[in-house]
Amino acid sequence: MDNVIFSLKDVYFSYLAKFPALCGIDIEIRQGEKIAVIGANGSGKSTLLHMLDGLIFPDRGTVSAFGRALEEGVFFDGEFSGFFRQKVGLVFQNPEVQLFCPTVKEDIVFGPLQLGVAKKEIERRLDKLVADFNIADLLERMPHQLSIGEKRKVAIASTLAIEPEVIILDEPSAGLDPRTARQIIDIIIKANLSGKTIITATHDLHILDEIADSAYCFSRDKKITRSGPVAELLSDREFLEQNNLVHIHSHRHEGEAHTHPHEHLDHHH
Amino acid sequence: MHIPRGYQGKARGASGGNDFIERSLFGVLEFLKDSLFSEEYALRKGLLQSLDPRVKTLSFVFLLAAALFLKSIPVLIWLYLLCIFLACLSRISLGFFLKRTWVFMPLFSLFIAVPALFSAFSPGEPLLALNLWLLKLIITKQGLCAAGLFVTRVIASVSWVILLSLTTRHTVLLAVLRIFKVPQIFVATIGTCYRYIYLFAELIENTYLAVKSRVGARLHYRKGREVVAWKIAGLWQRSVYLNEAVYQAMLSRGYTGEPAVLAELKCTVLDWCWSFCVIIVSLLLYLMSRYG
Repeated sequence: MDNVIFSLKDVYFSYLAKFPALCGIDIEIRQGEKIAVIGANGSGKSTLLHMLDGLIFPDRGTVSAFGRALEEGVFFDGEFSGFFRQKVGLVFQNPEVQLFCPTVKEDIVFGPLQLGVAKKEIERRLDKLVADFNIADLLERMPHQLSIGEKRKVAIASTLAIEPEVIILDEPSAGLDPRTARQIIDIIIKANLSGKTIITATHDLHILDEIADSAYCFSRDKKITRSGPVAELLSDREFLEQNNLVHIHSHRHEGEAHTHPHEHLDHHH
Repeated sequence: MHIPRGYQGKARGASGGNDFIERSLFGVLEFLKDSLFSEEYALRKGLLQSLDPRVKTLSFVFLLAAALFLKSIPVLIWLYLLCIFLACLSRISLGFFLKRTWVFMPLFSLFIAVPALFSAFSPGEPLLALNLWLLKLIITKQGLCAAGLFVTRVIASVSWVILLSLTTRHTVLLAVLRIFKVPQIFVATIGTCYRYIYLFAELIENTYLAVKSRVGARLHYRKGREVVAWKIAGLWQRSVYLNEAVYQAMLSRGYTGEPAVLAELKCTVLDWCWSFCVIIVSLLLYLMSRYG
């Protein structure tokens, strides 16, 4: 297919050559798709996202992006490196590591500045992001002074400032209050409607049908156990339970005890 | 919060025992964060903040070189006073500036300068004799002059460096270093250190609180040593993780080792006037040192 952006074939990766993180992964991602990577903690989701962002490389198998094999050597080619970094943006799971500049403003403009975007254009993007995220009052503050929700918003803004075609998000709603989580989901949906490819790792099943059309589910043995349309996957309770994505939850409600499957980790109802 | 009566005394006693260490630790961390990460002064509208950072850095290097080559204590004191005067014109609180410079000063100079006072290192005309048990220490005039010169030189130099760092934003300073062809690896290392210091300060603070929440405030000294050892090991492991994670986050957004800044660097009339003044002052200092 012409519009394939990422293609992973039989990919294996391990940390320190002894802790497997990905085992035999085959994935194809096309332009404009909305994809979710789901699975329990430690199932290899973040490792996959880092690999898609060209930060780590497979021990075995091949990863190609925009028709070129992603190997460590290709990033020594300044032209490809610049092209790739402009096309793909990753929002890290931990915003602390992503926000390393003295002020929020500098963090947001860091990417486009490094990529040589013209200063007027950077200012235009900054103004737009400030308006979209409603973060005008945060601009001159130091990132460490922000709350977790603010940090995550700034981390997303700092990635969107690059205006990448592919946005990769690692647990974007983790630890957020419902209102901020909603804002972030809306931003993801809006980005996809404007033609961007969205790849999100999450175990928050409540947001899954909004942020993705199809999903890849990772098992504890670091393999893809199942992939397909989100609606199909969410309707298979037994499968979700087997993969630690839902659990049986008991609670009291108006004086009566209820027991039912509980689908996500962050909210209670 | 209501504390049951039986626990109130214990809670007070427990916190009292470690108060000094806790206050010192948090005080040091807070000072470190404030002094290294507050860019409040760099954002103020003062004389030095309004200069082109390239001109300012170059002129400060010039004045630093003057401090290194001057051999007269009074002239060095004039240079130091000039630095304080400029700090005031740059709307830096005098108390804050003196605290910043004098806190680090003894570490740099006193320990090195003290031995130079004595005849064993600086033979010459005796000024004062000290009898310490069997040891007879003689302070010489030459020793006093050498130590005095060393300390004033350090005071003047450190003050100028701190004034530069207070009135220039960190990222701008790094970009200027690259403009002056300081090797990329050196600039990247400074930038990375700067980022980590804050994260480490936070880590130490949080680890201390985490330990306290689990073991309480009273800890046997032997256990205390173990906890400190764990902290050091934990900090090391986290630093390795952070090192990689932050670098990956930078790479992900196109970092290639060259710091870039949004602000346009422009030389104005003020910069030319400043450069002229620096040359005149340097010349005056040289003449004062030679003929004064």
